[in-house]
Amino acid sequence: MKKLSIFTIALVVLALLVPAVFAGGGAEEPDEIVLEFPTFWVGQDSKADMVEYLVNEFNEMHAGEIRVEIQPMPDTDGYRSTINTRMSAGDPPDVFVFQPDPTTFGFYGAEGVLMDFSDELSGEWGNRFSGGTIEQMTIDGETKSIPYEVGVTPIWYNQRLFDQAGVDSFPETFDEAVAAFEALKDAGITPTSQMTGGANAWTSMLWYSHIIGSIGGPDAWDRPLSHPQYEQAAEMLLGLYSDGNTTSDAVGGDADVSGGHYLAERTAIFINGPWYIGRIAGDAPEVHEATRLAAAPAVDGGHHGHQVAFPQSNLAAAHTDDPERRAAVVEFMKWMTEPENVAMITEDAGPLFSINYDIDPGVDPLLQEFVRVQNEAPFTITHFEGAFPVAVVQEFGTAIEMMVAGGASPAEFVEILQDAMD
Amino acid sequence: MTLHKHWKGIALFLLPVGVMYVTFFIYPLGYVFVVSLTDFRGFGSMEFVGLANFRRIFEMTNFQFGLRNNLIWALSLGFGQVALAAVVAMILARKPPFWRFLRTAYFLPNVISQVAIAMLWYTIYRENFGLLNTALRAIGLDHLALNWLGNLSTALPAVILQQLLYIGYFMIILLAGVMSIPRSLYESAEIDGANVFQQEVFITIPMVKSIAVVAMTLAMAFGIRHFEATFLLTGGGPANRTMTLGILLHRNLHAANYGRASAISAVLIIVGALIIGLTRHLLTTRSAIEDVKQ
Repeated sequence: MKKLSIFTIALVVLALLVPAVFAGGGAEEPDEIVLEFPTFWVGQDSKADMVEYLVNEFNEMHAGEIRVEIQPMPDTDGYRSTINTRMSAGDPPDVFVFQPDPTTFGFYGAEGVLMDFSDELSGEWGNRFSGGTIEQMTIDGETKSIPYEVGVTPIWYNQRLFDQAGVDSFPETFDEAVAAFEALKDAGITPTSQMTGGANAWTSMLWYSHIIGSIGGPDAWDRPLSHPQYEQAAEMLLGLYSDGNTTSDAVGGDADVSGGHYLAERTAIFINGPWYIGRIAGDAPEVHEATRLAAAPAVDGGHHGHQVAFPQSNLAAAHTDDPERRAAVVEFMKWMTEPENVAMITEDAGPLFSINYDIDPGVDPLLQEFVRVQNEAPFTITHFEGAFPVAVVQEFGTAIEMMVAGGASPAEFVEILQDAMD
Repeated sequence: MTLHKHWKGIALFLLPVGVMYVTFFIYPLGYVFVVSLTDFRGFGSMEFVGLANFRRIFEMTNFQFGLRNNLIWALSLGFGQVALAAVVAMILARKPPFWRFLRTAYFLPNVISQVAIAMLWYTIYRENFGLLNTALRAIGLDHLALNWLGNLSTALPAVILQQLLYIGYFMIILLAGVMSIPRSLYESAEIDGANVFQQEVFITIPMVKSIAVVAMTLAMAFGIRHFEATFLLTGGGPANRTMTLGILLHRNLHAANYGRASAISAVLIIVGALIIGLTRHLLTTRSAIEDVKQ
């Protein structure tokens, strides 16, 4: 009995000691900097595999010096609230995915919470990024989050329908667009897909954003709603709803209506982001094959070639006064924004990044088109939804409906939006 | 006045419900009114702004449309839907062939999700390939084919109509009332030479009046708080023509404008209570009240 007791005690002691001994294998080495990286790019997320691969590669390259530890948090809502709570408490993770919205941007003003990358980005590193994207993430001269995943929404057009109508290329000015629209209508094709329904009148809101970019350039959204550019853009948007330039169900129509017409080749021009490639390739392969991307036509004397791109996920880090730790964070940020590395993520999973890069010519031609138009853009601006409060965005569709029904002039369209600002 | 001899037992039985009522209704209701007097945005402190939220919402065009449309909804359901239900109940009470099947068929939509019903009507109303326009075009009435949910004149009637037709809930309530009327009354009237129409007008309607008032009150309450079908079919558009206070409330909550959302809720509660109170006051006669008491 006594022997048995000693044996049992020995087993228990062993059971307690063995995990402790083996756990020591994962402990950090002296002087190694460990960066916690909680992210929702794990599990079923399309980027999960490539992000893990890149982090592992980084850790191998910096073995014994820097180690990034992914902390999986697959629930995006839970992630958002955790990060916001930690930022509120002044204790954000070492490195994390910053979801750009008015709430998170509010933490830019908090002293000693987020790391400011403006010095590093003013050098060669900053040149990697698409025109205007660093500026979009800079407030009062401080860049406390790095633009990363981005939603690019160029103009889509159906080359086969353009050929049928005898239109050689996508119009570069609105004057050319009017001529192209007439040719399309003569061929029995409705020129554009539009919509006023949904939460934000998505397709028309993007058209409006492209036009605003053409009128106002990279800083267009800095101007208040009282600026004449908004009325001018509204007048041009009204033109897209007039004279049969869109379908009669655009008023009240939602994304299914807008996209459905394009997929069914009832309209020749549409706007959306790369996430729609899968839908078009699956539901209408011949339209997918015929689709080309372009910049919006320029207004008279306005900018041309820009794109509407809105940030979806940025990268950010906790503020630190330790120069070595700061250098380690910057090193990791530079690695994650290497053109070759983001290209691998795009090729593997499809998302785009606010970085100038090329992808393998073997991937989906439409995805290549997205990368091309983004790289060619002299600047990008965010969309109307990203530039104004939710209350104003909610009124955008209503304002178009009022204008199209003749119940509001373009000036009154802007007044409706201004009214919602209060 | 003396206390009931079993007052302790009565209080004990009432206590759980009373506590729940105060906790989950009276307290939140009071909180809504308190928040409606602040600029609360979901975080930070609540600044007292007096009646500013109320002044602001009454200036807003979408609120004006919402208030108007909620009144239209309440009246349409209260009078239109209940009237239709009453007619069907009176017919079914006479037990025509297949009346049991018809009773079930009329009630069936009430057990189907509002979302599914709204999607069904979307396929009916949509301009391209919608069933309604396809039917109109098939019989040569192309000029009548419209963007029903996108047209300023037709959107509200179209949304109300799809709801108005689902009379099953009130039909069942009224049918129970009509079928409880003693058959001898109808037999006597028939001997006295009253036709079917006269029997319904002079026997059925007075006898089910108190039940009809209850049905109308319920229908108006449903109308005042209407949200789902309009939200799914039009989102309040086009140009606010189908806006309801429920949708506006949802929008303000989404925009984290809790002070204004609470002010809209407060108006919705007050207007709802006023309409229902007024309706009951106008339609409820002393005899009807006595009927209910009996």
